[in-house]
Amino acid sequence: MTEAQLKVSNIETYYGPIMAIRGVSFEVPKGDIVTILGANGAGKTTVLKTVSGVMDPQKGSVTFEGREIQRMDPDKVMRLGMSHVPEGREVFPFLSVRENLRMGAYTRRDPDGVAKDLETVFGYFPVLKERADQRAGSLSGGEQQMLAISRALMANPRMMLLDEPSLGLSPKLVKEIFDIIVRINKERGVTILLVEQNANMALQVADYGYVLEVGRIVMADTCERLLQKEDIKEFYLGIKEEGARGQRRWKKRKTWR
Amino acid sequence: MNADVHAGSIKKIEVEGCDTIPKLFWHQVCARDGKTAFREKTLGIWRSTSWREYGERARAVGMGLASLGLAHGDVVSILADTIPEWLYADMGIMGAGGVSNGIYPTDAAKQVEYILNDSATRFVFVENEEQLDKFLEVRGRCPKIEKAFIFDMEGLSEFSDPQILSFEELLKLGGEYDKAHPGKWEKLVAASRAEALAILVYTSGTTGPPKGAMLSHRNVIFQLANADAFIPMETNGEQLAFLPLCHVAERTFTAFLPLRSGAIANFAESVETVPDNVREVAPTTFFAVPRIWERFYSGIAIRMKEATWLGRTAYAWALGVGMKIAEAKLEGQEPSALLKLQFAVADYCVLDNIKRAIGMHRVRFAGTGAAPIAPDLIRWYRALGIDMREVYGQTENCGVATGMPDRIKLGTVGVAAPNTELKLSPEGEIVLRGPHIFMGYLNQPEKTAETLRDGWLHTGDVGTIDNEGYLRITDRMKDIIITAGGKNVTPSEIENQLKFSPYISDAVVIGDRRKFLTCLVMIDYDSVSKYAQDSNVPFTDFTSLCRAREVQDLIWSEIEKVNQGFARVETIKKFRLLEHQLSAEDDEVTPTMKLKRKFVNEKYKGLIDSMYAEAA
Repeated sequence: MTEAQLKVSNIETYYGPIMAIRGVSFEVPKGDIVTILGANGAGKTTVLKTVSGVMDPQKGSVTFEGREIQRMDPDKVMRLGMSHVPEGREVFPFLSVRENLRMGAYTRRDPDGVAKDLETVFGYFPVLKERADQRAGSLSGGEQQMLAISRALMANPRMMLLDEPSLGLSPKLVKEIFDIIVRINKERGVTILLVEQNANMALQVADYGYVLEVGRIVMADTCERLLQKEDIKEFYLGIKEEGARGQRRWKKRKTWR
Repeated sequence: MNADVHAGSIKKIEVEGCDTIPKLFWHQVCARDGKTAFREKTLGIWRSTSWREYGERARAVGMGLASLGLAHGDVVSILADTIPEWLYADMGIMGAGGVSNGIYPTDAAKQVEYILNDSATRFVFVENEEQLDKFLEVRGRCPKIEKAFIFDMEGLSEFSDPQILSFEELLKLGGEYDKAHPGKWEKLVAASRAEALAILVYTSGTTGPPKGAMLSHRNVIFQLANADAFIPMETNGEQLAFLPLCHVAERTFTAFLPLRSGAIANFAESVETVPDNVREVAPTTFFAVPRIWERFYSGIAIRMKEATWLGRTAYAWALGVGMKIAEAKLEGQEPSALLKLQFAVADYCVLDNIKRAIGMHRVRFAGTGAAPIAPDLIRWYRALGIDMREVYGQTENCGVATGMPDRIKLGTVGVAAPNTELKLSPEGEIVLRGPHIFMGYLNQPEKTAETLRDGWLHTGDVGTIDNEGYLRITDRMKDIIITAGGKNVTPSEIENQLKFSPYISDAVVIGDRRKFLTCLVMIDYDSVSKYAQDSNVPFTDFTSLCRAREVQDLIWSEIEKVNQGFARVETIKKFRLLEHQLSAEDDEVTPTMKLKRKFVNEKYKGLIDSMYAEAA
C-alpha cells in the first residue's frame, strides 16, 4: 500500500450528548477509491463531516498529506485540496449552472486552469453544458448530483469526499455517475472517499472498503474480498439462502469475518 | 456417609410426598394456584404467569401429545431459547409420560439432526421461524418424527404443513382431548415412576458426537430434596432465567428448583439484555457461570479506572474494608466492632452502589458453577458483601455433586451433597456415588461402562479431599499438561487467573510434551477496544485490534502479572490472540462460551506450532 494520503485515527464525534462516532480509524491511500458502507444512522456522513471540518471531533486526529486538519475550518481544508460533495447535493438553486461551477472555483487564481476544468466537467457531463444558463434549482435530481460533483471538481482537488452520490437516482443514472467517478479517479488521479448505501455499486468501483455500524468499524478489507463475505452478502447485498421453505424472514447473527 | 445409600436399599426419596417430577409439579400447581410462577417481559413490561396458568398450559401440552399417541417413554425434544413455553412443554411432556430432551438453539442443523435421530424423538417443539428452518432442512432424514410444534408463529401466518402445528393448535387439541377424557391427565401423572427416565441431557462432548445422558425422576427429586443444604429455600425468591435450559445447571435452577422453593423465574429478554434485566429484577437467588461473574467484575473494574480520584480512593478503601471483613468471616472469626462499623459506612457509601450497578443488592444466594472460577473473583464478591458460593457437578450427577456449606473454604468446591459419597480413585480421579448418579448414556453401553463402574461415577476430574471432606479440583484428568521437562502443570489454575483480567475473556494454556508453556487468548472485545480508543491506538475491525502492538503489549503485561504468581516452569513464555470474534455458534466454544481445549488445540495447530517453531 502506498503512503496514506488521509489518515483518520480514533475519532470520536458527538451530536450534543450523543456519541455518533465511537472511535473510528481508517486510511485512504493516494490515488485509490475507498468506500465506507453502513446502514442508516451508522455514522457515515458524520465521518465525512468530521474529515472535511464541518464537524469537530472530541478526540482523535485527521491527517491529510502529513498535516493534522481536525478542527480546522472547512474552507481551509478545502483550500488544502479536499472537496466535499455533501449528501443531497446542496447546489445553489437560484444561481445558474455556470455560476454554481464558478463558485466551486472561487478560491482559484488561475483563470486559464479554471476555463480548462470547466471544459473538462462539461466533457464529463454534457447535459450541464446544455443547461449552463439554467437555474440549478430547475435541474433534475440526477443533473443536480452531476453539478455537485462538477462543482467540487472545479476546485481542482487532490481528494474528493462523496456522500451518497446515488441517493434518489435511477439505476441507469447511478451507473452513469459511478462511471464518471471512476474516470475522475483514473484520469485526474483524484483520491476518492466514497460513502454509500448502495453497497453493490460501491464495492464494484472501490479498491478498499470499511463497514461502519453504530459508530464503529466492524469490518475492513479489499472490496474483492468483502464481496465474498457472508455477512456482506446477506446484510448489504441482499443475497441469502432461501432455506427449506423458500421464504426466510429471520436474520442470521452477524459475525463480521 | 449415609449407610443406607450404598447398600442398594435406597430409602424413599420425596419432596412434599412426591417422588416424580410430574407429581410434584401438579401438587404445587394445585397448592400455589394464583401465585406467580414466572415473569416475562412483553413490549417492555414484566408480565406475570401464575402457577394455575403454568399448570393449565402444561396440562394442555401433555393432553395434546397424548391425543397424538404419545406413549410412555417416548422422547419429545425442545429446540428453543430460554422462554416460558420451554417449561410448559417440559412439564407437559413429562406429565404425559414422555421423556423431555432439550436441544441448544445455537446448534447447527446437522447437530439437530444427530440428536433427533439418536434420541429417537417422536415429537419436537421448535421456537420460531429460525429453528423451524433447521427442522425442515433435516426432517427428510429424521423418519421417526411424527409432528413438530411451533411456539412463535410470527412470520409464518401463511405457512402450512401437514406435519406441523402451532403451539396454540396443540393446546386446543389438548383441551378438547382433556374434555373428552376426564381424569386422564391425573391418571398419567400418578402413573409416573421414580426410577423411570425423565429427561435426556446431551453433553457437548469435546470428542466425538454428543452423548445423551439419561436422568431419572429419582435423580432430579433427590437433588431437590437435598437442595436446601446449599441454597436457601425462599418462597418469595426472585430468580433470573437466561442460560440455556438444555444445560443441566439452568434446567435444575429454573425448571426444577422452583418446584420446591416456589421462587419466581424471571425470563431475560435475550442474552444481550442480561445486565439490564438483572438490574430490573434484582434477584434474590442468582446462579451464573463464571463468565457472567467475570463480565460483571470487568465492567466495574473498567469503570473504576475512569472514576475520579475521589471515586477511586473511596472504592479502594471500601473494598479494603470489605476484604478484611470477608477474610475474618472466612477464618471463622467474629469481625471487630470497629470493622463492622467501617463496613457499614463502606457499604452505605460505596459497596451498595456497586451491588446495585450489577443488580446484586438483594441477592442472598449467589452461585457459580459449570466451569472453574478464580478464587480471587469470589473474594472480590465476598468483599462487596455478596455471599458467593461455588457448586461443582456435571450432567451425569444431575448438576450438584458438591456445594459450599456455611463454613467456607476458598479454593475448594465444598463438601459432597448430603447422602452421597465422594472419594478419590487410586489414580486421583474424583468418583461419586449416590442417588444423584445418572442412568447412563443413551445407546452407548460402552461409554456408560467406562464412566459408571460399580455404581461409581468417574468424573474425569482430578482433585484432593482434605480431612474435613472439602474437595479441591485440580483439573480435568486429560487436561493435565506434562511438559517436555516432565513437569506436571494444571492449566486451569493458570487460565482462571488469566480470565480474571478484564481484558481477557478466555484463555487456553498449551504445553503438553512441549519445552515451555504458551497460551491462546480470546480478548474481551468491549474492554480491549475501549482501552485502544482511550490510548489512541488506531484499529478498524476485531482482527486489526488484535494485531495492534499496544494490544499485544497490554495482554502480555496481563500475562506477566499472572506469571508472577507461579513457579518458573509454570510461567507462560509466549502467547497468540485468537483474531476472530467467536460467538456461541462457533465450534471452538461451548454454548456457555468456554473455549474447548481439545478443539482449539486442533484448529489452531498452526498458530500453536508457530510459537514453538520460532523459539528454537
